[in-house]
Amino acid sequence: MILLAKIALGMAGMAVVGAGALCSEGLVHVRVIEKQPGGAHINVIAPAIIAPIAMHFAPRRHRAEAIRQIQPYMPAARAALEGLRDADDVVLVEVKGPGEHVRVAKWGGSIVIDVDDADETVHVSTPIRAVSSTVEQLAAVDSD
Amino acid sequence: MRRIMGKRKQAAAVFCLLTAGMTALAAPAMAAPVEKYLHVNVDDPRNGETVNVNVPLSLAEKVLPTINNEKLHDGKVLIHRAEMNGVDVRALMDAVRTAPDNEFVTVKDKDSDVRVAKANGNIIVHVIDKKNKEEKVDVTVPLKIVDALFSTAKNDELDVEAALHALSDAGDILLVTVQDSGQKVRVWVDSKNTQE
Repeated sequence: MILLAKIALGMAGMAVVGAGALCSEGLVHVRVIEKQPGGAHINVIAPAIIAPIAMHFAPRRHRAEAIRQIQPYMPAARAALEGLRDADDVVLVEVKGPGEHVRVAKWGGSIVIDVDDADETVHVSTPIRAVSSTVEQLAAVDSD
Repeated sequence: MRRIMGKRKQAAAVFCLLTAGMTALAAPAMAAPVEKYLHVNVDDPRNGETVNVNVPLSLAEKVLPTINNEKLHDGKVLIHRAEMNGVDVRALMDAVRTAPDNEFVTVKDKDSDVRVAKANGNIIVHVIDKKNKEEKVDVTVPLKIVDALFSTAKNDELDVEAALHALSDAGDILLVTVQDSGQKVRVWVDSKNTQE
């Protein structure tokens, strides 16, 4: 009985450590609500750590193309991410028009994009650390 | 003995108070520099649209030197000599800097009024389009920013990165307002991270 309890405790500990490791880079949150009748409601919350890992499973040809496209902007992306990480929370861009509202903000260590228009509401929140890791992974893959 | 202990306690209390006071006085001086934000606001009431942009100047200072395209390199913008029209801008700026506050240029013709002046360490440009009297442009640039722009060794470059750095050291300032019959554009710098 005690042995079973020890095993259960060990497994619970492993689960907690595993969950902690998975969430160490924060969570990516994507929510899409289509406003038309019967429209889709999509709500995805995923550990951000999977983004740089998942990149390695992308087909080599597509990955090479992505790296080629992003390469000229890599120094600017690095500097922007570093600057954003150090910056206080701020709404970077906000556009309001008849029937539409777009907002890009840095909020609590994440880049948050909200779009609300006549057709749909979109919310994307990505931890800056995860974006940085992905960019660095791309750079590392490129230098291999 | 008790009296000596009491005096020691009093001395310790005074020392603690002094330390706390000095720490409180020194804290603002040791605090991190206040972040400045470059704000752009475009208001188009005719179409019911507004655009707000708030960029931390420290972020702009970090990103700008990494952008390299045709005319922008390492935070500096190349100006073709032809665009200077043979004017020695550095000598001109030296003359403006040492001159007292004054109105340097006033042009009035049937189409527009243009006024360029120096006041309180700023260069001020006012343009009014007479054909459409609602069109007005006001530009206020601190001389420190102009000096920073021309701080490079090369004559055909403007150091935008240095100008951004100078802006972050300057006080709150309304840099540009452009108003026409439909839109109003404002560009300013302050230490608030919102436009409210």
